[in-house]
Amino acid sequence: QVSVINTVDTSHEDMIHDAQMDYYGTRLATCSSDRSVKIFDVRNGGQILIADLRGHEGPVWQVAWAHPMYGNILASCSYDRKVIIWKEENGTWEKTYEYTGHDSSVNSVCWAPHDYGLILACGSSDGAISLLSYTGDGQWEVKKISNAHTIGCNAVSWAPAVVPGSLIEQPSGQKPNYIKRFASGGCDNLVKIWKEEDGQWKEEQKLEAHSDWVRDVAWAPSIGLPTSTIASCSQDGRVFIWTCDDASGNSWSPKLLHKFNDVVWHVSWSITANILAVSGGDNKVTLWKESVDGLWACISDVNKGQGGVSAVAEGQQNEQ
Amino acid sequence: PSQVVPGADPSTRQLCFAWGPTEVLVCETQFGRRGGFPSRGKVGSGRELLPGALTTCGVTGTGEGGPSSSHVFVVRKDPDIYIQTLRKLFNESHGIFIGLQRSEEELAGKSRKAQLVKVSKLYRSVIRACMEDMHQAAVSAQDPALRVQYSTQVSVLSAIELIWNLCEILFVEAAAAGPLLLRLLDWVRLHVCDVDNMVREVLSSEAPAKHELFWNVVNILVLQGRLDEARHLLSKEASADPTAVKMYKILDDLMKKMPVLSVCTNQTLTELELKWQHWHEECQRYLQDGTFASNSHMESICKILLGDEDAILEKKELLTTWYHFMVTRLLYSHPTVKPMELRFYAQMDLFLGGQSSPEPLDMILMAAFEFEIHQVIKECSIALSNWWFVAHLTDLLDHCKLLQSHNVYFGSNMREFLLLEYASGLFSHHSLWQLGVDYFDHCPGHGRVYLELHIERIPLNTEQKALKVLRICEQRQMQEQVRSICKIMAMKALRNSRLGSALSWSIRAKDAAFATLISDRFLKDYCERGCFSDLDLIDNLGSSMLLSDRLTFLGKYREFHRLYEQKRFAEAARLLLMLMTAHIAPCSFWMTLLTDALPLLEQKEVVFSTEQTYELMRCLEDLTAGKSEKKKVQDDGVENTKVEMLRLALARNLARVIIKEGTLDG
Repeated sequence: QVSVINTVDTSHEDMIHDAQMDYYGTRLATCSSDRSVKIFDVRNGGQILIADLRGHEGPVWQVAWAHPMYGNILASCSYDRKVIIWKEENGTWEKTYEYTGHDSSVNSVCWAPHDYGLILACGSSDGAISLLSYTGDGQWEVKKISNAHTIGCNAVSWAPAVVPGSLIEQPSGQKPNYIKRFASGGCDNLVKIWKEEDGQWKEEQKLEAHSDWVRDVAWAPSIGLPTSTIASCSQDGRVFIWTCDDASGNSWSPKLLHKFNDVVWHVSWSITANILAVSGGDNKVTLWKESVDGLWACISDVNKGQGGVSAVAEGQQNEQ
Repeated sequence: PSQVVPGADPSTRQLCFAWGPTEVLVCETQFGRRGGFPSRGKVGSGRELLPGALTTCGVTGTGEGGPSSSHVFVVRKDPDIYIQTLRKLFNESHGIFIGLQRSEEELAGKSRKAQLVKVSKLYRSVIRACMEDMHQAAVSAQDPALRVQYSTQVSVLSAIELIWNLCEILFVEAAAAGPLLLRLLDWVRLHVCDVDNMVREVLSSEAPAKHELFWNVVNILVLQGRLDEARHLLSKEASADPTAVKMYKILDDLMKKMPVLSVCTNQTLTELELKWQHWHEECQRYLQDGTFASNSHMESICKILLGDEDAILEKKELLTTWYHFMVTRLLYSHPTVKPMELRFYAQMDLFLGGQSSPEPLDMILMAAFEFEIHQVIKECSIALSNWWFVAHLTDLLDHCKLLQSHNVYFGSNMREFLLLEYASGLFSHHSLWQLGVDYFDHCPGHGRVYLELHIERIPLNTEQKALKVLRICEQRQMQEQVRSICKIMAMKALRNSRLGSALSWSIRAKDAAFATLISDRFLKDYCERGCFSDLDLIDNLGSSMLLSDRLTFLGKYREFHRLYEQKRFAEAARLLLMLMTAHIAPCSFWMTLLTDALPLLEQKEVVFSTEQTYELMRCLEDLTAGKSEKKKVQDDGVENTKVEMLRLALARNLARVIIKEGTLDG
């Protein structure tokens, strides 16, 4: 059972491409083909427009909120090849940084785990992925992975932060040695995993299973298990769940969640990673959950025998 | 089955979806326009009907939206959490839950069982109390929609209590043959049809025996095994109709003599069965003799006493439910029924007679009679929107050690799975989340990590709330979360220019970089305004001063001021000098420090020794030398004056101190 608790009238003048809640669910950011990014205060079922941010010269595809410990920061990316980082300073939202290093539409932006600092990954139709790191005093350092995906990169998603080795408390001020990784999906039908080594980003893995453009990738939040999980969806209508059992990140195996009849555009994990939402070309959003015995099933809150842990989805049989 | 979001139009749009921390965002979009390429994929193709085998579920739109909808829908699961009247239920059951977790596992056998039954009864009393509140709310509600909502809730709670009660009898207490039937009778009497009102109504009328409901009431009392009450009512009939006296006496006698399990005597089941058999035969004889032939009502009652299926079934309207039918049949045909035999008597189909199909509640009760515990849990999970009931019940059953014996995929995993779901739901509420913490604590598998993920998302609206959350994290050694929260609060405070607060938060977060940043701000403020804010904090830094060099300087610098105020000039002088020579002070601040030295240099009594004066001079020269390298054009006039003044003061001090040190005492 669900209930609509708020209907926010964004007054965007054209198609909305993304809507994201901030960390606490108190603010909503939306972006649209009308080139604007809007921010609303949605506490207690209200909707107060806080900011109408103009700066892009084309449809804005995605927005992403940074971790609140860095303040109120929002990133947006657009068809106009720009990535803009907005910040709230003294109660007003302003552009704090603009990155124009891509030759084509920037399709996806994703903030790294806050433990790494303030780092933004951006995927573009020019095939490159750029990483913008805040170094202090309003300065950003850029690292670019050219030709990450031939024809174009459609999505980027960071792996959760995991400290390798022991968890001995580091002396204050010193950052523990994180191994930074993120996944990307592109028009070369591939999902790639990138790892930072000695300050350079290297392609660690190539995951092949899709037969058409990969539209979205989502790395599942960590729930303390040694396995890593990535969801990917594609123009070919398939959604795969990739899992890697060992900590070294070497062997990834795909499991087909489902084959839809149309393009699948978007996959995202709930915060405890137990539900995967899939936005499909069949004009529906379906929610999937892994049951206790490792099989994925489509879930529902309304019963009549078609829900619960042992629901049957096409192509998958579950006992009970 | 789909959840429909009103207003969204699925035929021309796709739905974009995003997870919030506790809610979900849905908005209309057209994905095909992405990526700057001509759209690939079927944009705007009408809704495709999927093959029947596919269980689609999730979210679709209803098509009520306009041509281009600019709406974003915020959708929440588990709206029950927000019903005010359920609040008490959540709070009190939380207390019972914690009590159960901490209860003594060492108690074995009977005492443990008694303890668990007690817990079960506690839960049920909480449910009943809540039902009562909800009922009151329904009665007093002005808004009809609200009244409907409350009434629905009352029905749901009533069903929950019904199920729980049965589970208590069958699983927790695990009533054995004999007591089993008595418990089931109680259960039926408590939950099925409101007999008492009818009895009252009939008795309070002028001529009870003539009341239109008279025989209904007598029958239902018999069906529920309330024979004494039935006899009492029948006596009214007897006095009203002399011709029936003989018949009545026999019936009355039969009803009085019916053997029932007595808890007082040490009667064995075999003894009971024997007695019952005799009694049954006696009833049979009277029936066959035609004793009741002239009064159909009484004859029917006799047949019921004999457990005649058809006679009982005839009273379907009074029984209302198949489980009442079942219990009545058992009472009058097999009172010493064993638990495992129950399933053979649970004949739903017979009762329903193909006219209606079973409801979810029926399926749950059936599963219980069949002792399929995991089926009960599963059906309950499906039927109810809130995890409250199934999580607490499963936890209790797990404590009864009933889940281990079943399917290996479930067992304690099932308990934890449900508790995690329930507790996660609590986190979407602005105050109930605190209950959720305890539930996570008692999930040994994933409780901790779920807590870590959820607790980070609690909005830290006030300092108090932040401290509360912090305490919870600290108690559980969740260092990462502690640091994260402190950093967030520090950042917030800084944005609101509350430097003192920002500083104490960054100290708590052990964030050296931030502490340095804030110390700089303090110092900058001091330079601009000539005084410090948040003196209390800075004065009492203690060892936390060591977190960052800049912070240490801030603390020491303030100490210098304190010493000066206390007129402890010699110590102040020493400290001031040390701040520069030990490079605790940043170079940018040296000018200020030297300027601070001026009043000390101009004291009547000489403060700085020769050596110290030389040191000061050297500091000044280092400073100006460094400066002249950078500045090519003439210096700022004020700066120059300051430097000159310092040079003069230093020289004068040197002169005085040389003389003083050179003068012999005496």
